[in-house]
Amino acid sequence: MANGTWKIARNRGGAQLPIALLAALAVALILIGKAENTLFDRARATVTDWAAPALRAMRSPLVGLDRWVGSLGDIFVVYQENLRLKSENARLRQWRNVAVTLQDRVKRYQLLLHAVPDPGLSSVMARVIGRSNQPFLQTMILDAGKAQGIKPGQAVVDSRGMIGRIFLTGDHTSWVILLTDLNSRIPVNIEPDNAQAIMAGDNTGAPTLDLLSQNLTLKPGAQVVSSGDGGLLPPGLAVGTVVADPAGGYRVVLLADPSSSEDVNVVDFKLKTEQPPAASPNDLPATAAGLPPAAPPPAVTAIAPVTMPTTVAAPSVPAPGSAPPPAAQGGAPADTGNE
Amino acid sequence: MERAGSIMGGRFLSSIVPALFGILGVIVANFPVSILGGLVPPPLLVFMPLYFWAMVRPDLMTPAWVFVLGILQDVLSGGPPGVWAASFLAAYFLIDRQRDMLAGLSGIGAIAGFAVSALTACVAAYGIVTLYYWHFPPLATMLVQLAMTVLFYIPAVFVLGVAHRRLVGPYRSDF
Repeated sequence: MANGTWKIARNRGGAQLPIALLAALAVALILIGKAENTLFDRARATVTDWAAPALRAMRSPLVGLDRWVGSLGDIFVVYQENLRLKSENARLRQWRNVAVTLQDRVKRYQLLLHAVPDPGLSSVMARVIGRSNQPFLQTMILDAGKAQGIKPGQAVVDSRGMIGRIFLTGDHTSWVILLTDLNSRIPVNIEPDNAQAIMAGDNTGAPTLDLLSQNLTLKPGAQVVSSGDGGLLPPGLAVGTVVADPAGGYRVVLLADPSSSEDVNVVDFKLKTEQPPAASPNDLPATAAGLPPAAPPPAVTAIAPVTMPTTVAAPSVPAPGSAPPPAAQGGAPADTGNE
Repeated sequence: MERAGSIMGGRFLSSIVPALFGILGVIVANFPVSILGGLVPPPLLVFMPLYFWAMVRPDLMTPAWVFVLGILQDVLSGGPPGVWAASFLAAYFLIDRQRDMLAGLSGIGAIAGFAVSALTACVAAYGIVTLYYWHFPPLATMLVQLAMTVLFYIPAVFVLGVAHRRLVGPYRSDF
């Protein structure tokens, strides 16, 4: 540590000029990166793909060590923890019965109302092979990439709730930006009031809530779910619970714990393109004015959809409990206008 | 002739040792597997060889190498490009201007000198990130990283000293 013992190179003249030039280059890179980050992202994805086998190999012993270190403190509270878990398990069993009953009831109501079923969500299971906890960003690396159908923007969830979303994909790896990251912003709903808000990460454990309505007071403990606004994320993904921020405002305690998640699901949410309902003959201005519809020219009749009259036919109401008509199951845009 | 060739090869290898230590520091610090559940951010390992050889062998730890190490840190850490490159250059500028004073420190003073240089890099990075995102990142995480970096420098400086004595050596003109 005795720096005085080192012999110092003295001929360092002219170092300031390269420093100034390189600093200017670095600033230029920052500006270029702000405008167009593709080049760096590609380099990052390539490096991660290349290092993925090493990350997988290193993961097992480090996870084992991590668990061992983390469980040292648990040894002393294992009995109390066991009692607490038994009690929690009993309560959860009761809630499960309630949930099953309510699920059946919701299904019956949906059949009675001919509700369009929610879009099916497919997902890809991936393993966490890396975590990055830097001062300015919090990310995670998964061992699934473009080859497995992963795309930027997709939501990443574990068994407890949402963790983050994909922001960069390599061929066989992908980077996840965590909900706690400084750059994470997702639209959320606060239930049961259905209040709209933006949940923004600030690199702390609990992201902040920016309410869209200023005159709203939230109750601590209210559930936060993804709203699905913007079509990027599926609605209804469990995110966390509201807590009051001592500094003012509200924060969200996340249900998921990214530091302990090992296997996660990447949710593929394909929002159907919203299309206006098909026009019926009654919507034509001439018909609406009480005039007989003009005879269409031959060329137009060839193009006009023949199926239009069938979409306005009176729907046959099925008996409660019976299956909905095939058109309603498909959720075709024309059917939405009839409901 | 062969002896001259091996001496040249040895000199070349010894000249890239500081940069290799820097690259190793970048890779190890950004290896995305965290022990202890990521409770604390990893230390800026790359800054240790950077500071050490920028002080004792600035002819080997040149601004160009500092820039390359910064870019590597940017790419591997997942952050915006150029942030750490500019921050390391800011710290290098300080070290370059205050080299005689920093090199004359020993014991706690040497650690304090390193801490001031690391603080310069961290403050520069914090400022750039703030401007980049137009949002103040939490200061606590950066301070914890700075503390970890200073803490890890104490054992690391012994390793770097051994590497310097055995692999690099003092500047030739000083003999």
